[in-house]
Amino acid sequence: MAPDGPLILGFDTSGPWCCAALVAGPRVLASAHEEIAIGQAERLMPMLEAVLAEGGANWRDLAAVGVGTGPGNFTGVRIAVAAARGIALGLGVPAIGVGLLEARAEGLARPLAVIEDARRGEVYLQEFGLGADEGPRLCDLSDLAPLLGAVALAGSAAGAAAALTGGAVLPPALPLGVAVARIAAARLGTNQPRPAPLYLRAPDARPQPAGA
Amino acid sequence: MSATLTFLGIESSCDDTAAAIVRHTPGQPAEILAEAVLGQAALHAGFGGVVPEIAARAHAERLDLCAEDVLGRAGLGLGDLDGVAVTAGPGLIGGVLAGVMFAKGLAATAGLPLVGVNHLAGHALTPRLTDGVNFPYLVLIASGGHCQFVLVEGAERFHRLGGTIDDAPGEAFDKVARHLGLGAGGGPAVEAAARTGDPARFDLPRPLLDRPGCDLSFSGLKTAVLRATETMGGPGAIGPQARADLCAAFQAAVADVLGAKARAALAAAGETAGGVGVFAAAGGVAANGAVRATLGAAAAASGVRFVVPPARLCTDNGAMIAWAGIERFRAGARDGMDLAARPRWPLDDRQAGMLGSGRKGPKA
Repeated sequence: MAPDGPLILGFDTSGPWCCAALVAGPRVLASAHEEIAIGQAERLMPMLEAVLAEGGANWRDLAAVGVGTGPGNFTGVRIAVAAARGIALGLGVPAIGVGLLEARAEGLARPLAVIEDARRGEVYLQEFGLGADEGPRLCDLSDLAPLLGAVALAGSAAGAAAALTGGAVLPPALPLGVAVARIAAARLGTNQPRPAPLYLRAPDARPQPAGA
Repeated sequence: MSATLTFLGIESSCDDTAAAIVRHTPGQPAEILAEAVLGQAALHAGFGGVVPEIAARAHAERLDLCAEDVLGRAGLGLGDLDGVAVTAGPGLIGGVLAGVMFAKGLAATAGLPLVGVNHLAGHALTPRLTDGVNFPYLVLIASGGHCQFVLVEGAERFHRLGGTIDDAPGEAFDKVARHLGLGAGGGPAVEAAARTGDPARFDLPRPLLDRPGCDLSFSGLKTAVLRATETMGGPGAIGPQARADLCAAFQAAVADVLGAKARAALAAAGETAGGVGVFAAAGGVAANGAVRATLGAAAAASGVRFVVPPARLCTDNGAMIAWAGIERFRAGARDGMDLAARPRWPLDDRQAGMLGSGRKGPKA
């Protein structure tokens, strides 16, 4: 074990990026972030191996991996989650799922609302320190003002939301990979389900009548 | 390389999540130590076919369960494996991607070689897994997504002699079953209904039998069944006997076409490879009794041994991927962590594509 705490590798491909970070307690040993919309499946594992090497660690040194579960690009989320499940089996360590919106909120003062673009005039919303934590959900951009008032905002669609609510826009406190690894570290030792993508949207498919 | 090899195979290119462990010592029959298939029929019921996004969602959360299951039932740890083989295409890309990423994560961390396998190579090499067939041999891959005659010359040498110019026969079976109200994934349902039917009552076409070569077509045949139904007032108006007769006529037409084109393919194999000793069938359509009969007759007419793997190894499975992985590994193949998932990946990449084009490239 690293002197500062258990080694955790965090990664996320839920949007048009590929990012990873290796942390030990409060220390960030290595991190990487690339803006790529395609090719994440080819890029992710080489990036993880490079981050491990830069941090002077091997796969076998890891106490757990943290993986971004979205919501976001369905295929992107599955790329990271499937890899994380393979890593967990290979190492016999837990893979811990971390939502994109809670990762965006990591290190920021509460109360806070994180807003991510969901396209089609919708956003993914998660509130922090605003009473009951309802978890991430999908809602119309136009519903945000009555819902949130002027609370501080973060996330990729915070600017668009702020134009409607008047809330202050906070920049991220941490790189996404670091946030995912930190949250996973905080959950280590608690009973965690296997990581599963957080879709928040049903598959785009309509039932077909018989005989069609 | 003469050592015993034990490979885990992972398959997720359509609607079955599958894993298996295969062990092989040169000179001995291959052994399937454990196999698991988690089907998704219930998830896609009512959608009129496999919904890619639904399939991908299921694969992503089942691959590890499948792999753990076969390791447990084989009584093996990861340290007992010599490699991980995974379907890297062709197929529904979301599922293939999930499988490839799972396999990469597992192989990298367990310190095992990774071998990406063409799903069709898995089908094409299955006769060697089940029956120890020697190269070269002729195989018909006939399933819901594919139909081609392939001369298998080596673990990585496939020569396509012909294939469908439109639909796959399994696709035609599924569409006919759905049209006649027999449910989705209806190959077995059509076969069951055909048992009490008279194949001579409806005169259905035998597409492309008037042409030389071993290309096939099934789209017109499917349409002919639909038209015959409409002339009787539509699928809701026909009785059980007419339905059985239609199923029998359709199945007989598919079997006739495959049998006749198998003869042509065997002749072509004779010219290309100087003759083959074995004709094998693979893919879900090979599980159909009437099809097996005409294919077997074609083999017998050419004096060639006919091999059909057991049904569970004709449909999608992990054992064929593990086996193809062992074959590729012995041929020196290793894939890196940048292994790509390919929605389209013709088995024979030395010939021009015959089906599909554009950005994704040819389908077959």
